[in-house]
Amino acid sequence: MGTSMRNNNSIFSGIHRAFSTLFYTLWQGIKYLWRNKGYTLASIATISSCLFLFGIFFSVVLNFEHMVKSAEKDVSVTVFFKDGVTEDQINQLKIAVEERPEVSKVKYVSADEAWKEFSKDYLGDYADGFTENPLEGSENLEIYLNDVSKQADLVSYLEGIDGVREVNRSELTANTLSGANSLIGYISMAIIAILFVVSLFLISNTVASGIISHKDEITIMKYIGATDFFVQAPYVFEGIIIGFIGSIIPLVLIWYLYHKVIALVNGKFAILSSLLSFLPLKVVFHDLVPISVALGVGIGFLGSMFTIRKHLHV
Amino acid sequence: MAQSNRAEELRAENIAVSLRDVSKMYSREAPAVTNADFEVHDGEFVFITGETGSGKSTLLKMIMHELKPTSGEINVLGFDLNRIRHGKIPKFRRNLGIVFQDFRLLRDRNVYENVAFAQRIIQVPGKDIRKNVLDALDMVGLADKYKRKVTQLSGGEQQRVALARALVNKPLLLLADEPTGNLDADTAWDIMQLIERVNEIFGTTVIVVTHDRGIVSRMHKRVVEMKQGEIISDSGEIDPYYEGYDELPDYQDVDADGYEYEE
Repeated sequence: MGTSMRNNNSIFSGIHRAFSTLFYTLWQGIKYLWRNKGYTLASIATISSCLFLFGIFFSVVLNFEHMVKSAEKDVSVTVFFKDGVTEDQINQLKIAVEERPEVSKVKYVSADEAWKEFSKDYLGDYADGFTENPLEGSENLEIYLNDVSKQADLVSYLEGIDGVREVNRSELTANTLSGANSLIGYISMAIIAILFVVSLFLISNTVASGIISHKDEITIMKYIGATDFFVQAPYVFEGIIIGFIGSIIPLVLIWYLYHKVIALVNGKFAILSSLLSFLPLKVVFHDLVPISVALGVGIGFLGSMFTIRKHLHV
Repeated sequence: MAQSNRAEELRAENIAVSLRDVSKMYSREAPAVTNADFEVHDGEFVFITGETGSGKSTLLKMIMHELKPTSGEINVLGFDLNRIRHGKIPKFRRNLGIVFQDFRLLRDRNVYENVAFAQRIIQVPGKDIRKNVLDALDMVGLADKYKRKVTQLSGGEQQRVALARALVNKPLLLLADEPTGNLDADTAWDIMQLIERVNEIFGTTVIVVTHDRGIVSRMHKRVVEMKQGEIISDSGEIDPYYEGYDELPDYQDVDADGYEYEE
């Protein structure tokens, strides 16, 4: 019983020491940050800029993807008919198309309804000047899909039907949006990669300058019997803290600016409001917060580890 | 394994330090140490003396495992320093107390923090640190100055702080590299008296590297003398009547790094 109690005490004492060392080295890391204010601020500013840009591109890409998906879902395949095709024939086709598995909804739009909708959206009171329907003969079927990837099959089916004059599809819009999305993605990746390298370099410099200014202290620690962990941990914490703070600042900025920018865009481009459907901030932050923090902390960790290996020979 | 059979045998024989045919060669230079052979028993007090460039500091650095020998075997406190793993070095060093000529104190901290630093490094629980630090400072006569910045202290006081830092972890072996090199004669003597007291009271094994002939001859301790990297004489175990003390050469006044010492 005595031995078991002694063992327990020794385990508790070991855990206590481990925690005490962890907190001590963490506190040293915080002190190093403070002593090295200039470099610390420069590093935080760089990593914040980097992650701010990352956050912006991430939000743009995410919103673009969302818009592309919405566009693909909302923009229908529209079928126009040759002159002489009767409303009955159109209704028969409607029934046939509705039975297809990839189709979610088919709507018949008469020429009058088409004109009414167009004049409401784009002409307002000016529509009163028209006595006849300029969209005569533009009755159509609006076909909505539940699987956009099958759009091409449906279009070729529709084009093969007698009496069909034209099939308008959203593929072009979708492809354009997807193309723009990819371009933004590539540009953002390139900029982010460059900024990450700069951030790594700056964090590495910050940690290196700290190591150089603490050279005497490190030598003494070494002679007294400090473990590698004890000597290196404060510098690792220094890098991690820089990375963490550097990731929080841009998140706060994005949180503050996101709604303002959306309101601004919606105000300036009201005509595109049906296309510009933005994601709520909560949805963007769901992924952006963990990714940004992981990147910030990761860059800080890598930057300090890289420097420790290069400059700190314990 | 840091602890080889040989190292265990030496510990069993109470041999704290053993050098066997140890040589150290820096690249493209004359050997710093050649075929050094000597042993130091637990509780012994040994001076290593010699002119600048005689290899005495190199020998001390090999004992503290700052330098590795080019050839030969070094065993210190049961650690085979030829085979010690990197991860075991802190454990080995925790048995040592090291004092330097230039004190190497943390100038931005006060006396207490400088000594407590040594305790924190070896993860002594916080509640024990205060007592241990104040005891160590009391031993070196600085208990009343524990709040002072080290920059406000005289050279002798700074060396006392360095000594307190070296002793606070209760080392088995105290290594001092020219501990009095930056001090006037009276202060130097006080410091040496203090080191002698540590040796006598706690039984700490002491190795002091010095070129100060006056101190060596007054202390009447074992003297290992080096010249051009070789051990040329060893007075052996403590012999108060060792005649060689009077024959020690009058070394030029230089510090451990070979710079001329200005009074």
